[in-house]
Amino acid sequence: MEAVIAIAIGVLFASGVWLILRPRTFQVIIGLLLISYAVNLFIFIMGRLTVNKPPLTLENPVDTGLFADPVTQALVLTAIVIGFATTALYLVLLLTSRGLTGTDHVDGKEPRQ
Amino acid sequence: MLLLILTLIPFIGCLLAALLPVNARNREAWLAAAIGLIGLIIIGIQFPQINNGEVIRYQIDWMPEYGLNLVLRMDGLAWLFCMLIIGIFLLVVVYARYYMSPEDPVPRFFAFLLAFMGSMLGVVLSGNLIQLVMFWELTSLSSFLLIGYWHHRADARRGARMAFTVTATGGLCLLAGVLMMGHIIGSYDLDVVLASGETLRDHAWYLPTLILVALGALTKSAQFPFHFWLPHAMAAPTPVSAYLHSATMVKAGIFLLMRLWPVLSGTPEWTWIIGGAGVCTLLIGSFIAIFQHDLKGLLAYSTISHLGLITALLGIGTPLAMVAAIFHTLNHATFKASLFMAAGIIDHESGTRDIRKLRGLYKLMPHTATLAIVASAAMAGVPFLNGFLSKEMFFAETLLVGSSSNWWMPLAAVTMGVFSVAYSLRFINVFFGKPPTDLPKTPHEPPRWMRFPVEVLVVCCLIVGIIPSWSVGPLLHNSVQSVLGDQTPYYSLALWHGFNVPLLMSFVALGGGVLLYLILRTRFGLTQRTRTPMLYRFSGKEAYESTMLELRSAASRLERLLGTRRLQPQLVLLVSVCLAAAVTAAATAPQVWATLEPTTPHMPFAVLWLIGCSCAVAAAWQAKYHRLAALSLVGGAGLVVCLTFLWLSAPDLALTQLMVETVTTVLILLGLRWLPPRLLSIEQDKAEAILTRTRRSRDFILAVCAGLAMAAISYLVLMLPAGAGIGGFFLERALSEGGGSNVVNVLLVDFRGFDTMGEIAVLGIVALTVYGLLRRFRPASESMALPPQQTNLTDPAAQQTPTEQAESGYLMIPGVYLRLLLPMILVCAVYFFMRGHNLPGGGFVAGLLFSVGIIIQYMLAGTLWVESRLHLQPHRWLALGLVIAVITGLGAVVVGYPFLTSHTAHFSLPLLGELHLPSAFFFDLGVFSVVVGATMLILTALAHQSIRSHRLPLAAAEPVVPTGKEEN
Amino acid sequence: MSFWADQLILLPILLPLLFAAALVLLSGRQQQLKFAINLTGTLALLITAITLFWMTDREVWPNGVGVYLAANWQAPFGIALVVDRLSALMLTLASVIAVAALIFSYRRWSRAGVHFHSLFQFLLAGINGSFITGDLFNLFVFFEIMLAASYGLLLLGLQPNRIRASMQYVVVNLVASSFFLIGVALIYAAAGTLNMADLAVRAAAMNDSERLLLETGAAVLAIAFLTKSAMWPLGFWLPTTYAAAAPPVAAMLVLMTKVGVYVLLRLWLLVFADQPESLNAISGTALVVGGLLTLTYGTIGLLGSQELGRMAGFSAIISSGTLLAAIGYGEPKVISAALFYLVSSTLAVGAFMLLMELVERIRKPSAAMLALTMEAFAIDDAPEESAGVVIPAAMAFLGLSFFACALIIAGLPPLSGFIAKFSLFHALLNPAGLFIGNLYSAGPLAWGMLALIILSGLAAIISLMRFGVRAFWAVPDAKPPRLHLTEALPISMLLLLCISISIAAGPTSRYMERTSAALHEPQLYIERVLSSPARPGVPGTAGVEQ
Repeated sequence: MEAVIAIAIGVLFASGVWLILRPRTFQVIIGLLLISYAVNLFIFIMGRLTVNKPPLTLENPVDTGLFADPVTQALVLTAIVIGFATTALYLVLLLTSRGLTGTDHVDGKEPRQ
Repeated sequence: MLLLILTLIPFIGCLLAALLPVNARNREAWLAAAIGLIGLIIIGIQFPQINNGEVIRYQIDWMPEYGLNLVLRMDGLAWLFCMLIIGIFLLVVVYARYYMSPEDPVPRFFAFLLAFMGSMLGVVLSGNLIQLVMFWELTSLSSFLLIGYWHHRADARRGARMAFTVTATGGLCLLAGVLMMGHIIGSYDLDVVLASGETLRDHAWYLPTLILVALGALTKSAQFPFHFWLPHAMAAPTPVSAYLHSATMVKAGIFLLMRLWPVLSGTPEWTWIIGGAGVCTLLIGSFIAIFQHDLKGLLAYSTISHLGLITALLGIGTPLAMVAAIFHTLNHATFKASLFMAAGIIDHESGTRDIRKLRGLYKLMPHTATLAIVASAAMAGVPFLNGFLSKEMFFAETLLVGSSSNWWMPLAAVTMGVFSVAYSLRFINVFFGKPPTDLPKTPHEPPRWMRFPVEVLVVCCLIVGIIPSWSVGPLLHNSVQSVLGDQTPYYSLALWHGFNVPLLMSFVALGGGVLLYLILRTRFGLTQRTRTPMLYRFSGKEAYESTMLELRSAASRLERLLGTRRLQPQLVLLVSVCLAAAVTAAATAPQVWATLEPTTPHMPFAVLWLIGCSCAVAAAWQAKYHRLAALSLVGGAGLVVCLTFLWLSAPDLALTQLMVETVTTVLILLGLRWLPPRLLSIEQDKAEAILTRTRRSRDFILAVCAGLAMAAISYLVLMLPAGAGIGGFFLERALSEGGGSNVVNVLLVDFRGFDTMGEIAVLGIVALTVYGLLRRFRPASESMALPPQQTNLTDPAAQQTPTEQAESGYLMIPGVYLRLLLPMILVCAVYFFMRGHNLPGGGFVAGLLFSVGIIIQYMLAGTLWVESRLHLQPHRWLALGLVIAVITGLGAVVVGYPFLTSHTAHFSLPLLGELHLPSAFFFDLGVFSVVVGATMLILTALAHQSIRSHRLPLAAAEPVVPTGKEEN
Repeated sequence: MSFWADQLILLPILLPLLFAAALVLLSGRQQQLKFAINLTGTLALLITAITLFWMTDREVWPNGVGVYLAANWQAPFGIALVVDRLSALMLTLASVIAVAALIFSYRRWSRAGVHFHSLFQFLLAGINGSFITGDLFNLFVFFEIMLAASYGLLLLGLQPNRIRASMQYVVVNLVASSFFLIGVALIYAAAGTLNMADLAVRAAAMNDSERLLLETGAAVLAIAFLTKSAMWPLGFWLPTTYAAAAPPVAAMLVLMTKVGVYVLLRLWLLVFADQPESLNAISGTALVVGGLLTLTYGTIGLLGSQELGRMAGFSAIISSGTLLAAIGYGEPKVISAALFYLVSSTLAVGAFMLLMELVERIRKPSAAMLALTMEAFAIDDAPEESAGVVIPAAMAFLGLSFFACALIIAGLPPLSGFIAKFSLFHALLNPAGLFIGNLYSAGPLAWGMLALIILSGLAAIISLMRFGVRAFWAVPDAKPPRLHLTEALPISMLLLLCISISIAAGPTSRYMERTSAALHEPQLYIERVLSSPARPGVPGTAGVEQ
């Protein structure tokens, strides 16, 4: 399981990096999405992997051994939200850039042929 | 205390002068003169003490920890220079009053002049090396302003820039040198420094220190090879030249050398560097001076050579040489100032300074002529004038240095003497011959008071020349005493020392000079020569400008080489640097890697991620040409991530991820429409194709490495046992103290509520930004045309507006369904919101759910339809949500607990019975409201684009030919 | 310390947030009102900051470290806000620049975009938060607030070049932010905590594997901050962005590079103070070298660039290069000198940014071009008319302030720039202070730094003088620009501040000494943060039992 998710993170991150290095804004935004997935997963697994132990402490007293680490989950939640916000912002920036500069190249002008 | 006043009044005066009206020549002059007089009085008061060889000292603490204090220190040398500076300042002021034309803006002039005098006084009175450097740079600055006074003239601008560049650079060197001295000696205080010459000379850093200090001094006093700035500084108004280049600015360098003489001198290095520079300068300067056609130019080069003479004397390094140096400094100041003024008068009255045009001025302005002739005689070193005495001392010294073994020093001295006689004759020549006719103005005597300063100075020359020991004896003695202390030699300031070699040398020089001049005139046609033989190739001005331009262009080339203005290289660098840093850090403890043992992969999970990974890779591959496909693939990856969260016991994350996924996809879908079509094949030539391939492979390798690194580190983390983190604490307290069983939610709204507040702030900001961006913005015109699907005429829907489509068109049925669905979605939202504190859910999820409900309406029924029925004002939601959150937090403060402390209220309602209401609930309400507001703001802003785009002439609305457009 | 005094620590974050929310509610038409509210908020912030400055320095709280436990949870668990001398200093600096930028924007820029005022307040909230927070992840959140707001402000008014510039700025910062997250995650994995003080404690006692994670995380995190503080080769976005931004925004951006520097300084001395010597030395050297490279790049760029915007950008790069090198050098005296330099250069470059636009108003490209060619071919125009040109008051003001800015940036006397550089050199050469028979001899790094800083000063002199002469002197009939009081006031305010700190150099440097001394005793800080108790008897507990 560990190996699988590690590889998964690697692949997501790699494809994200590849995409943000591309010249077209749409590629970059997709890349940013993938990177944010990778990073969220990465933060998440910092609390190690636990199956079927959601941090819902329905009864007192609590045996902390029975639950996944809530902290990383909280962090990931915040990260997801902020990632969503920044993606939206970048999307709009991309649209305006295309509208004002007439190209979807990241430098706002086509590379001279 | 008096010293403080002495240093401050010029600056005060500078401010006052700057504030006076533009044409107040007289008031300005009076002000300046008054300040000069006060200064004179002050130093007059000091004289008795100085005469008893006392050192007056005044100190104010400034940065004592750094050894930098404001120390004013006056001894004989400083006193002499003060007198020189102020005395000549007064004369210059009188002179300038008449020289400056009525339309010149004099306030600036006098203000700068006063500032300059102040900084000069500061230099000579400094008792702390750093402070000295400060005033040193100030002199450079104020001289820059003075030289550039007539800044509408290119030559003035250049002169100013040259002078400043050279002297300021020197100043920086000096600063470095002084810092080193301070480090070696352990103090910047002048008294300490003067006391510890031995330590310095024995220290390993002596040579670098000496070189740096020398650089400072030599640049300032225009010594070879830095002499080229001085002639160009002649673009300044003549009073400025008379002041800066006779008595003050250039003398600052000399002063510094004299100041530090006891500390630095007495070593072969000193003699070679300083003496060498001096000798070169005096020869070159005097030689070039002969061939000048501009009066001021001639004087400038002669100044250079005289400064060279003084520097050479200092370089020789014997006490007597020091005496001669100080003496000559004094003399040079007097005669050179008078000569500059005379030249200025000639220029002022006749309108030209060209020696070739000027003739026979004696008949036209006899007084001035006489004065000028006497002064230049002094410059030439004719007996009975002050120049003669000091020059003879110089000859004597050169003899002592060059004993019979080496003879080049006396030779150089005599040559210089010969040259100086020659150029003095050249100068005098303008007064003889028959009066000229081709001058711009017909010359005549200047106003009485304009000549007055010249008279004063010339009289000084005479007095000093005839009765030296009576006139300047004591002053000279004080200053020499203050420099040499107990090693003050015996010397006699007499006109007549009997027949001896120096006298002989003087006469040789005189005779030779006259001879040389005649030869040059008759044989070499001196008057016709436009350029200096041999040395003409070196032109300071071209050299300077080309260097500056070279510097600029080289720098900008280098900058383009070292930097980039494009995005991709930056990202490549960013990623690779980060990778490198991480790897180096991770490589420090290799043994850790050895301890890992592999685990068996879990099959279904592996399959799941096989799908996820292939989605990601496919997206990466497709994103360029098949945007929609790429988007859906990314969505797939997102779903897998979402499932993973669910699998690994993080229901909240799964929920949120799902919602965010949905909204993001919708957003990007809305955006897709405005992106340009991408043609499948862009034809490239060979070289470009190769270039592209290399770039791609580079990026690919980088990406793979990054991925590997991430995978490796994640695997490492997963294999290592988790340490005792802070997680347990929250699990224990969530229910008991946070009042909620969903620990993640409690963390968000209570333990780490502060994060959540920030997070909603980010959402809000982004929404506002998006709104601000899109409000005025209109999409690119070529993308406004309707896609072919919507414009083919067989489709009835094509003729309908979105609203019609929604009300009666093909979208009616789904529209109705969705309208029915809306309340249910809202109920779901409320449900998730309410349970959030104890079970997966919460304000954020609820908010997104709510907005999704509304988005769907937008998508089907069209913007206009929805907004005609539903007026939600996202701004309000956003702002109010933020306020609610913050107020909830502040509630705790009101009852005396820190911000955001959660509190659970209990009350029983009829029907519902006992229910307890944590303050976190309201906080979450704030979150909910902000999320709804932000999401709706962004979405509507995007949606309105499509409305705008439809408002366009039908001409543009005709179907665009599908040109290998993205497949959507 | 009383409960209400503690609330002061919260204000620098809460005030801007509330004001921002309030400003959103107002419609776009009430410009005057909005401006008034915004100004009130910023001034209130300034007052708060100054109060905190005073309180930390007077040690109203023990060791001058004030701790605020948000949501009333004990330090490592909840989010602790910490204010000490350094953060108070930065807060004050931030609010001063903010006031200046805001007043400047009154005339024109505040109308350029819809939500300028609220975004401005949000930006302040972000900046202050990053100065105050004592929690790594919370720091990330505040960074995001700051960045998001800066994106918004940068994009004010749709202009192609601004869009281009912000495309770079946004993408680079988004990537940097994800690195930030990775770093924080790794550190959490290593130490199991997010609180900086707690992290420092745990970092001291770590086994190999944990240390490995910690160091990797720290490295990644450092890259994120270095990108923010524009270290070469991560800072190419800076000149482009600054040149494109609206002047007041650019002034705020100057502040933001300093945020990166601040965080580096804080974490560096707090967490990695008692790491094994080798590591500390290695990373220190790396930082110094990076700083020096940045310095070199900035110098070259400054020499090479013609337009004012880029020149300002490069002078900002120079200043952060100097700071990075000084931080890496790590000597207490050097750091205190660096702090002095930080204050002076931030004020000066900020003023410069504001000045930029006003100078552009008088510039005549044609005249400048003519002057350029004349220089190039060393031509002199015929000096017939030898009467000076009268300078009107507005021009005089511009000239003077440009002169002052140039002096400070180039580090020429008598203004604060020189004093800052002098104290830096002094500290580099005599870290132990001045005394007779000082046998300490500075290492190659120190010499390199000294030489480079002097060179950068020279470059600044040459290039600024070139620009100034062309802009102010080479235009024969420059019609004096129309200056509004609200444009002249902030610039002169900033410059006066510079002048006053150079006159009061003694006290100022002593304050910096205290600050850096406190930074070099992290245990006091740690002890304060971890030992400050939550207020007993949380009301939440009462009800849930039944």
